[in-house]
Parts: sequence; structure tokens; C-alpha cells
Amino acid sequence: MMTCFEFRRTILANPRERTRNQDQHMAQCAKCAALAREVEDFDARIHDAAMVPVPEALADRVLLRHKVREPARFGGSRFGVWALAASLVIALGAAIQLYRADSGDQERVATAAAVGEGHAAVAAISYVLDHEPQLLKANVSGDPAVMKSALTRLGLNLPSQGTTVRYLGKCPVPGGDGEHLVLQTPFGQVTLILVPEQSLGPRVVVAYRDRTAAVSPVRSGSYIVVTDSLKNVKQIEKMLM
Amino acid sequence: MLETKKSKFESLVRGYSTELYRYAYWLCRERFQAEDLVQETFTRAWQALDGLRDDKAAKSWLYTILRNEHARQFERKRIEIDGTQELDEIVDSGSMNAHESFEMRDAIEALPISYREPLLLQVLSGFSCSEIAAKMDISEGAVMTRLTRARLALRKLTGRATERKEKVR
Repeated sequence: MMTCFEFRRTILANPRERTRNQDQHMAQCAKCAALAREVEDFDARIHDAAMVPVPEALADRVLLRHKVREPARFGGSRFGVWALAASLVIALGAAIQLYRADSGDQERVATAAAVGEGHAAVAAISYVLDHEPQLLKANVSGDPAVMKSALTRLGLNLPSQGTTVRYLGKCPVPGGDGEHLVLQTPFGQVTLILVPEQSLGPRVVVAYRDRTAAVSPVRSGSYIVVTDSLKNVKQIEKMLM
Repeated sequence: MLETKKSKFESLVRGYSTELYRYAYWLCRERFQAEDLVQETFTRAWQALDGLRDDKAAKSWLYTILRNEHARQFERKRIEIDGTQELDEIVDSGSMNAHESFEMRDAIEALPISYREPLLLQVLSGFSCSEIAAKMDISEGAVMTRLTRARLALRKLTGRATERKEKVR
């Protein structure tokens, strides 16, 4: 027969899995039965408190990051090597074209097909269109200090007047994470992804799925701007510099 | 073959990312770090997925990866916490900042990780004492002692917070 001491020791360690011995003891000891009920209620409180909110679309972000990283991290097959070589040739071609275009007044806008689906600009547009609406609904906010530090490291400036930060969080970029900001600006809603200490390659502007994204190297890192037109990309960049 | 692996991986991500995030959160108590831990856990899970023979073991396997990753990333921090904080000190100090609606959450956060972790593995993730013992590499008896002490500490901590509130009123 179980003693009160034994009962209390086991019920406090594991209130969920009640044994036959414990049930028998409870039937004969009102105090221990009351304690068991109290511990059960208390455990329900612990459980409720431990259910912290989970970031919206977390699973989608995990899967997207793997999709973005897949060619580099998981490629190893012969196909992977050829795909990588082909991507490099395309990227080089795109870079040469863009370099030529830079000398003119109007910057050349590449297509997703030209730069490849794994390119940071294309991935950023997909992320904005597929995940951002849910993130905005979640109404969560990241650490403003982290955002300020990233802006400073990249030598960018976010004007305090006329710009509202609607979302602040992290998002996947090739090779890691970026600071993801959604801004309400005089030029409409804009997504800015800050990637300190990491190069995403030469400057590229891509139009894809009704959005335009610019990936640009800056002092100690890169940034990506996603908005609805090249004109607005330029306006935002002017505002940030 | 790759498609099967991708599909298996996706079902793991969709099935476990939420609970892994909560476990990660209670290990590091910081939501961005928690998300990073989940991301890194799945990266490692993908790399080792071919080695997972028994799908029923997937949950425990993912928890172990996350736990190891946390230990790797925050080893120094964890040693600092464990080295300086004893459960009795926490309970006796009376320094817990318990707000009305987050009283229990604050109390859980105040627990040293060696007590918080087995409690959350049991209450939140539904692991048995023997499973927790295997995960933490300690005896089942030690797990039971920690669980008992954790619950007693929480009762004391939340009781004290309630007393303080009543005094203020």
C-alpha cells in the first residue's frame, strides 16, 4: 500500500500518468486526492503559460529557406555541378548586361529567367508575395535595436518622418537570414531586406510577378528592396542613402 | 528518391515546427534565437534524414537535434546560467518580476534551465520521465526529483507573486 509520502512524491513528479496504486491511495486519503486535483489544475496553468505564440508561417519559412539554400547546400550530384556552372554563366551574362546598362540613364531590368529562380531578388519577391501578408496579419515586431544596427552597418538611413515600420522580423536569404522590414512610405508599401556582412553579388534589378526587386551591395553587406516599380525602387534607395 | 525525401522533410517541418519552436523558446527565452534554432534544427535534420529509419522516432530525434544545437550555440551562456543560479536562490530571492497576466510565464522563465527543461519536455511535449532521462542523459530518478522541485518552486513563486499583488491592493 502506498504511503502519503510516496503518493505526493510521485504525483508531483508526474501528475499525468496515474498508476493503479495512486488511484487506490486516493480512494482512501481525501487529503492526497485533493492534492492530486490541485496539482492537475496547476499543471494545466503551466501548460497554458508555456504555449507561447509561434511566429506566423514558421513552417513555410523553414521550407522556403531550404528551397533557397538547396542548390548550394544540398547539390552534390553531377546535375548540381552543371546547374551551378549554368547559373554562374547566366549570372555573369546578367552582370555584364547590367554593367553596360549602368552607363545609360535607365537601369536594365532583368527577368527571373535571366537570373535564375534561386537568385536573391526572385526569392525575395516570392517571399514578399507568398508570406508577407500573413506576417503582417500576425502583428509581431522584431527588435528595433537589431534593425538600427543593421542599417548602420550597411551605411543606410531610414528617415523618421513619413516612414512607418509595419513589420520587423527575419527572413531567409541565400546563405543565411536577413532583417526583414515592411515600410509604409510616401511611395507606397516597400519591403527592405538588410543583409549585413554578406555579399549577394553585383547589383541586379529583377521584375517578377508584378514586383520589382533590386539587390545591391553596400558597405559591409547587401540590401534588397522590393516594391511595385523600378521608379519606386529608385525613390526608396534615394531615401535610404 | 529525392522527392520522397522532400515530402518526408516537409511533413516533419509542418508537423513539428510549432512544438519545436516552443521548446526552443523555453530553452533560450528569446524568440528570434528560438526561430534560428528551429531553422538550424531542420537544416541538420535534412542532412541526416536518410539515417532516420523509424518514423515514429522522428519527434524525439528532432528534439535531440534541437537540444544539441542549443548546447552548441549557447554553451557558454548555459554554463553561466547553471553555474550561478540555484533553484533555492531563485525561490528565496523574491526578485521575480511577475506581472498579473504573465505570472506563471515569468515563474517558468525564472527556473534554472536544468529544472525548466524537463518540466517543459513533460508538460508541453508529452515525453515520459524515462524519455526525458535519456534525452538529458541523467537517471529517471533525477528527472523525477527535478520535476518535483520545479513544480514546488513554481507554486512558491506564483504564490509569492499573488501575495505581493494582494498587498498592493
